[in-house]
Amino acid sequence: MGEIAPAAAPLDRTALAELRLRLAENLRARAGEPATGAPRELLVCAGGACISCHSLAVADELESALAASGRAGRVRVVRVGCMGLCEAGPLVVVSPDGVYYQKVDREGARRIVAEHLGAGQVVRELELAWDAPDGRRLAGREVPFFAQQVKIALRNCGVIDPAAIEEYVARDGYLALEKSLFELSADDVIADIKSSGLRGRGGAGFPSGMKWQFVREAPGDEKFVVCNGDEGDPGAFMDRSLLEGDPHSIIEGMAIAGRVTGASRGFVYVRAEYPLAIERLGNALAAARRAGLLGEDILGSGFGFDIEIRIGAGAFVCGEETALLRSIEGKRGTPQPRPPFPAQHGLWGKPTLINNVETWASVAPILLRGPKWFAAIGTGRSKGTKVFALAGAIRNTGLVEVPMGISLRTIVEEIGGGIPNGRSFKAAQSGGPSGGCIPAAAADVAIDYESLQELGSIMGSGGLIILDDRTCMVELARFFLEFLVEESCGKCPPCRIGTRVMLNLLERITKGEAVPADLDTLEALGRHIQHTSLCDLGQTAPNAVLSTLRHFRAEYDAHVLEGRCPAGQCKALLTYTIVAEACSGCALCAKACPSGGITGEIKHLHVIDQELCIHCGACLSVCPTDAVDAV
Amino acid sequence: MSTGNELARVAAAETGTGKPEDAVAPETLALIDTYLRDHPGGTERLIPVLHRVQEELGYLPFPVIKAIAERLGISPIQAYGVVSFYHFFTTTPRGRYQLKVCMGTACFVRNANSVLESVHETIGLEVGGVTKDRLFSLEQVRCLGACGLAPAMMVNNEVYGYLTRAGVRKLLQGLRAKARTPHPGGEGGNG
Repeated sequence: MGEIAPAAAPLDRTALAELRLRLAENLRARAGEPATGAPRELLVCAGGACISCHSLAVADELESALAASGRAGRVRVVRVGCMGLCEAGPLVVVSPDGVYYQKVDREGARRIVAEHLGAGQVVRELELAWDAPDGRRLAGREVPFFAQQVKIALRNCGVIDPAAIEEYVARDGYLALEKSLFELSADDVIADIKSSGLRGRGGAGFPSGMKWQFVREAPGDEKFVVCNGDEGDPGAFMDRSLLEGDPHSIIEGMAIAGRVTGASRGFVYVRAEYPLAIERLGNALAAARRAGLLGEDILGSGFGFDIEIRIGAGAFVCGEETALLRSIEGKRGTPQPRPPFPAQHGLWGKPTLINNVETWASVAPILLRGPKWFAAIGTGRSKGTKVFALAGAIRNTGLVEVPMGISLRTIVEEIGGGIPNGRSFKAAQSGGPSGGCIPAAAADVAIDYESLQELGSIMGSGGLIILDDRTCMVELARFFLEFLVEESCGKCPPCRIGTRVMLNLLERITKGEAVPADLDTLEALGRHIQHTSLCDLGQTAPNAVLSTLRHFRAEYDAHVLEGRCPAGQCKALLTYTIVAEACSGCALCAKACPSGGITGEIKHLHVIDQELCIHCGACLSVCPTDAVDAV
Repeated sequence: MSTGNELARVAAAETGTGKPEDAVAPETLALIDTYLRDHPGGTERLIPVLHRVQEELGYLPFPVIKAIAERLGISPIQAYGVVSFYHFFTTTPRGRYQLKVCMGTACFVRNANSVLESVHETIGLEVGGVTKDRLFSLEQVRCLGACGLAPAMMVNNEVYGYLTRAGVRKLLQGLRAKARTPHPGGEGGNG
């Protein structure tokens, strides 16, 4: 494709340096950094979400429009990884102009070529822009969604074509690996990772440098490096986007760790639900092997390292490191007691360094730009940035990377663009099923590992679900418990039985059958499970319940004491009535009612018999005129 | 699906009291042997080989699990233990179009239940079911990582987002029309 053909032959250090020189300006321009003489390119987001919105068809349309207007050889269309703003997809960026186009379809693609490239006019109707309260019109990278972000792990996502290893190299890719092979000693690398303050991005936040040192110092002639890409938290898609958008950054981080710890084999464990991530990572591994950046004697250094992909098979507990290692060994993914930790006794009993996808992607920049630069970002004990997957009741759904210490309010109101549909911000759920809810009242707290823990939640892998006033916190806790009951591996009783009992209690509450003492039982049981479960899954399982009990006690009380669901979500507690003014008499509700509880003549008001009503909500969902009221 | 029954069937297959279905098609055996030959190693190949076979057959019949176990030198029940542990593996045939409705948090918040309900209304499937003609099967999954598109559903390897009741109906009817089934009246069962 154009001037950048896939590397077919092994590269040496000189060839790598030449590539960096040749393409650097071009890629700096794409990333919005100062650059001169960069050619014009059309970047199309080929992240998972945009592809589902037919971005690949948009890319094809751009190419044929370019060909039709005689620009085929001069303007390239580049299919890049996730740009982050999934809500506005498919996204197209004109580089080096820095103009962002949103929700582009085939017609839009033709207009971009004809109007922007042809007539030199920005297509206003499609441009990503935002009118600030002070009257300024902010466009492209100036909109708060992009302007407030600091990209380290996501530095190449949305900038490079993940299928072109040259483009990764040109962004100083594999330069940190070269450094670790030829300039730095293993102890230097570990010292840098340690003083950068990098902590595990998978959730628990263990200092990464210490882990690296443990594995380096562990006795044994065979060691392994593992990437945990079993992103099982519902609502999280950071790992997916990184694997899809910048797979080489993970490969490079792992190779450096191999060099430092003395491991020669690595494994990336990816969820089976992510076929595109598996495909792109597989292609990247093959490209790195062809280029001589994986395999025997990397760049003539004498160091050999290779990576294999292991595909998960749908078990949430495999995100727990000891369970994940059992799964790579081909066994049932049940956790093991720690200690011994994987650093001493990991894969096949050998010392194993296991880190999360985002942690691996952060390694190379730390070595290139220095630990001081990294440590200058963030809070006292949480350094650098964190990638969050922003979803739920939020305007700008997508992927964001922000400095540690940012407030939830900035994320929700500025980056996220606030709550849509005129609703109000109620809480944010972080950390998936193992996490908890942060109430709107705590929105100004600086987010880091410690502050989230104090609020009863956890950083987790980075899923951040925004909830508005229509979400019932009891129902949400029930949803997570149901998830955990199904995903508990069954090995230890506190988790296997305890979560089941908690779920039963929550179901009673959402059905209005609970007694006040049930809330105390829930709380006591939750503490027991936290203290007595074998692994993180069980120890964190009660978080969703305990954090909502702590911050939203009144909502639980309304269910138990008054038989009322303030958010209007628990169907069994709702009373359904038909509003006379809005009813068109279409009789759809009467047809849908499974208990025959709705009567009325065609074109006349229908009435629900409260005696017969089973609170299923069928009438509400079929009514074409929103005449069914549920309170 | 009753685990007790499955275990009984595994036991029957193992003691050779089984039925004709115990025989594994030669092509399947060849597939297993080729995979194992191309990927040298030990028992850690169990999960990858199960993936490969399920990709081909759509499910993992017990005699196949047994054949794989024999070749890896582990007991059939050990292999079955792995199959039953992971949600992704199934021992019952799935549909040509595998519907996987996302029940992750973001989809849940944006009413993923309506997607399940609409699938049920359109083709009569409950979670875990297969239509009689094996055109569709329905699963719920825990987050497809497509939260920006919530509520979302995966049909085989393709993700469909921003689903409404009407959108689901149209999608399924479109797929059915595309398949042009030989028995147009034979759908709607709960396999």
